[in-house]
Amino acid sequence: MIRIEGLAKQFHAGGRTVPAVCGLDFDAADGRITGLLGPNGAGKTTTLRMLAGLIDADAGRLEVDGLDVRAQPRRALARLGLLADVRGLYPRLTARENIVYHGRLHGLPADAAHARADRLAALLEMTPLLDRRTDGFSQGERMKTALARALVHDPPNIVLDEPTNGLDVVATRALRETLRHLRSAEGGGKCIVFSTHIMSEAERLCDRVVVVAHGRHVAAGSVDELLARTGATDFEEAFVALAFGPAGAAP
Amino acid sequence: MSLVGDAWIVCAKELRDALRDRRTLLVVLLSSVVLGPVVLVALSSLVATMEARAEQREVYVVGLERAPTLVNYLQRQTWRVMEAPPDHEAKLRDATLGVPVLVLPADFEAALRRGDAPRIEVVTDSANRQADAGARRVAQALAGFNRERAMLALALRGVAADLLEPVQVDERDLANAQARGTQITGMLPFFVIIAVLYGALNAALDTTAGERERGSLEPLLATPASRLSLVLGKWGAVAAVAMLIAVLSCASFLPAQWLMRSDTLRSMFQFGLREAGLFLAVLLPFGAALSALLMAVAIRCRTFKEAQANSSVVIVAASLLPMLATLNPGAEARWQLWVPALAQYTLMTRVLKGEGFGAEQIVVPLLGCALLTALSLAYVVRSLRAAAAR
Repeated sequence: MIRIEGLAKQFHAGGRTVPAVCGLDFDAADGRITGLLGPNGAGKTTTLRMLAGLIDADAGRLEVDGLDVRAQPRRALARLGLLADVRGLYPRLTARENIVYHGRLHGLPADAAHARADRLAALLEMTPLLDRRTDGFSQGERMKTALARALVHDPPNIVLDEPTNGLDVVATRALRETLRHLRSAEGGGKCIVFSTHIMSEAERLCDRVVVVAHGRHVAAGSVDELLARTGATDFEEAFVALAFGPAGAAP
Repeated sequence: MSLVGDAWIVCAKELRDALRDRRTLLVVLLSSVVLGPVVLVALSSLVATMEARAEQREVYVVGLERAPTLVNYLQRQTWRVMEAPPDHEAKLRDATLGVPVLVLPADFEAALRRGDAPRIEVVTDSANRQADAGARRVAQALAGFNRERAMLALALRGVAADLLEPVQVDERDLANAQARGTQITGMLPFFVIIAVLYGALNAALDTTAGERERGSLEPLLATPASRLSLVLGKWGAVAAVAMLIAVLSCASFLPAQWLMRSDTLRSMFQFGLREAGLFLAVLLPFGAALSALLMAVAIRCRTFKEAQANSSVVIVAASLLPMLATLNPGAEARWQLWVPALAQYTLMTRVLKGEGFGAEQIVVPLLGCALLTALSLAYVVRSLRAAAAR
């Protein structure tokens, strides 16, 4: 369960103040996939970074399973798995070593971390990769390794920043299957939040879509609800109407 | 999830990562561990050649049969006197002849007997270093010949020979053999400082700027491990690599001195287990402080390349600071021990001179290293989170 209220963040660059996020609200329920859909520069990545405690928010409240990220970052982080947009693997370490390293830092004993790496590798169909160095990995292989690393401590909440970036059709489909599994009861009924600017991604996967533009929430609901609200038949039309229409125009 | 436990996990991972970088490691090992002894051995063979030349007492003479008295004197002084080849001038010029040549006038012996002061030419070429060095010794030998002739002449007239030398000059050199040796081995402390620096450099940059460039810092900071434990673990790994290089480069001088060819240099360069231990007492804290400093410089940089450019400031400082000691060759000043790199250089030079150092001399550099480490690590901890947000 993730809840964000009144989140605000400004960046200072060269004497100018650039608002990145201004009063964003949304919440994501357990057992659901929530898509953060918005154009480039809408503040999606900044929001997810603040959620993972990587940058400080100027104002607002960020909650992970009821824990305030700004007040108790370490306890909140223990319940969160983050797949950043840059995969950030250690090329000289094997996939297993990459995964186990983070598992150990999450407080798992060594044998438990290894067992977890094996289970995740089976889930993500990457067992043959496990003991190879990540140096020559393809984009899809890197994504799988990074995802396994983000899931090593079995977090109830999973945050993915543009997870399909750079993936081919096969890898994208495999990722979709994995996320659906993680959402289901046998997969743990996780609360999954991912950001994307790709309509079809949101349309195919999300139980609920939060449309973000200019750092603010402009609409939320299932794909069908958003279509009904805008009177559009095509999701892309609906998105453009919401994100760039009167409601989403820059203040 | 304890501080020490997390730091240990980070340290083990960073060490494994650093040790897998075989190519870089090999270059560092070769340059730091092998080069020093090689330079030392090369230096010793150079000194050995110079010594052999210094003892060489040979001279060529044009007109050997014209000067039996002079030849007799030279032979009594254990010189080898040989007839000069006819093309000796050309040979001296192109340095195929490494021995000076004496040219005697035709009536040398008769003129000498008459007391006419015949002229002897010492032919050499100042561009031919070997012959030139020999010429100085030949000139000394000829001065000896003059003195002997003069004394004989005075003795015949009943004059005391002491009149020729109203003042006696004796030299007494207070430097011991080891202190003299530091003129030649003085570069060694400088060398090990640079070795430790380059040993730490790659690991320090990889764990900070390299981690930023790969984008792996962001997920790392999203783990519940505290920033302090991450920084301590990384520093532990970098410092361990630096210290390993320090130990290896000090240890490599032990076998190097058995290979040394010059007996004089060997007697001057006494580097045993005690000296190696004292070197390490100076170098290990220095390696730890240098690792922290390099990390602090590199954490500000987004890429490995940028960090390399920035760390050159540290490299230049560590190379130039010891030179302050050579600019000021007198007694070492107290403030020298407060300057990192210069303090280490000063103490290691003392060890090579055979003077060693006491607790009071090592305390100040130790404090300096501890202070530098603490400040640098605090800066890295503070910068770590800002560094993750690109």
